[in-house]
Amino acid sequence: MPSTVMVHGSETNTVIAHGVKVEGDLSSQGGVVIEGEVVGTLQCAGLLTVGPEAKINANINAQEAVISGAVDGNMTVIKRLELKSTAKITGDITAEVISVDNGAIISGRMSIGNKVTASQKPQAMPKKEARSSGTTGFEV
Amino acid sequence: MNQAFAYIYDDFVSQRRYERDLARMETELATRGISGYVARLAMFRQSREIVSNLARGGVKNVVLVGNDATLAQAISFLPDLDVTVGYIPLGPPTVFANLLGIPVGIAAVETLAGRLVEVLDVGKCDQQYFFTEMVIPSTTAQLEVEGAYRVHPIENGAIAIRNTGIQVENGKVCANPKDGLLEAVIQTAPGEKKKKNFWAKKGLSETQIKFRNGRILSDKPIEVFLDGRPVRGQVFEISIVPKKLHMIMGRNRKI
Repeated sequence: MPSTVMVHGSETNTVIAHGVKVEGDLSSQGGVVIEGEVVGTLQCAGLLTVGPEAKINANINAQEAVISGAVDGNMTVIKRLELKSTAKITGDITAEVISVDNGAIISGRMSIGNKVTASQKPQAMPKKEARSSGTTGFEV
Repeated sequence: MNQAFAYIYDDFVSQRRYERDLARMETELATRGISGYVARLAMFRQSREIVSNLARGGVKNVVLVGNDATLAQAISFLPDLDVTVGYIPLGPPTVFANLLGIPVGIAAVETLAGRLVEVLDVGKCDQQYFFTEMVIPSTTAQLEVEGAYRVHPIENGAIAIRNTGIQVENGKVCANPKDGLLEAVIQTAPGEKKKKNFWAKKGLSETQIKFRNGRILSDKPIEVFLDGRPVRGQVFEISIVPKKLHMIMGRNRKI
């Protein structure tokens, strides 16, 4: 697969609706709304919104994020990360600020409060067997 | 006769019911000093040859007289010629005319004489141009975006690649032909869960992606429509060609 290129959505959001699947390196200079499926990597220079029906199997790098669906991958959020009650995260989270609603499920390590830079890309997802043997994973 | 102007008449305008309109239009053009060569649009290749020859002969303005189909057919090759394109719509459908702010009938002559020229992007699919959109009605074909990722409907869906939208929503056209980008819209049938959840209420039923170039990939031959013209194939290279089409538009243009 060729290297990542930017999707040019400065104001208009990129929308991936229900019933649509993306495979590869999705990158946007604006906001992104995901309601369908994504496999690969996801970079968003604006607000990333993941709907309750969405299924994401990708490492994520975003400026801000509101997650209501399932994410299987590591997440790096430069500013605020909001996990809604239906969110299910399997992977490590790095964010400056986090808000977690009752019922949200997180399985992985969290690093919150430190300044996160745009160049700080999420680490490659470790194999599931290795992650389950970790000591810092927890559920909320 | 003004040698900088050429008029391409669609076949249907020779019908008796357009006789009067055509006569009035020709009189009005002569009055304004912008009458020119007249050619008739027939077979695609013939049309291309006629217009290319006229352009080589010094014609700077090619005016299409007919309807949206006339414009759609000619737009597939006109952007490659060094001409400004005008349009006099005489019969339906006139959706393009509405987008361009050109009134139907003899009133279009005034718009033509006003010569308000805008430079617009055009879409390109393989070797053919399209002005509004490329549509794949029902498919599981994949859209590869800028070589980075592939997107496709999980079950059947309709894919439209827009340069400018035929649809006008809330007074605004849904894709901008001056932004140097194409907009992919994928429509899929909403699932049962989706019908009930709040996302559906927000109207998020369409996938929307902006891009500059990509490919449509299908595992079997499919039919796509470029401005309504059917084209068959399995792989289609698509791209935006910015600022390619010089078009005479009306004051009430929507793009």
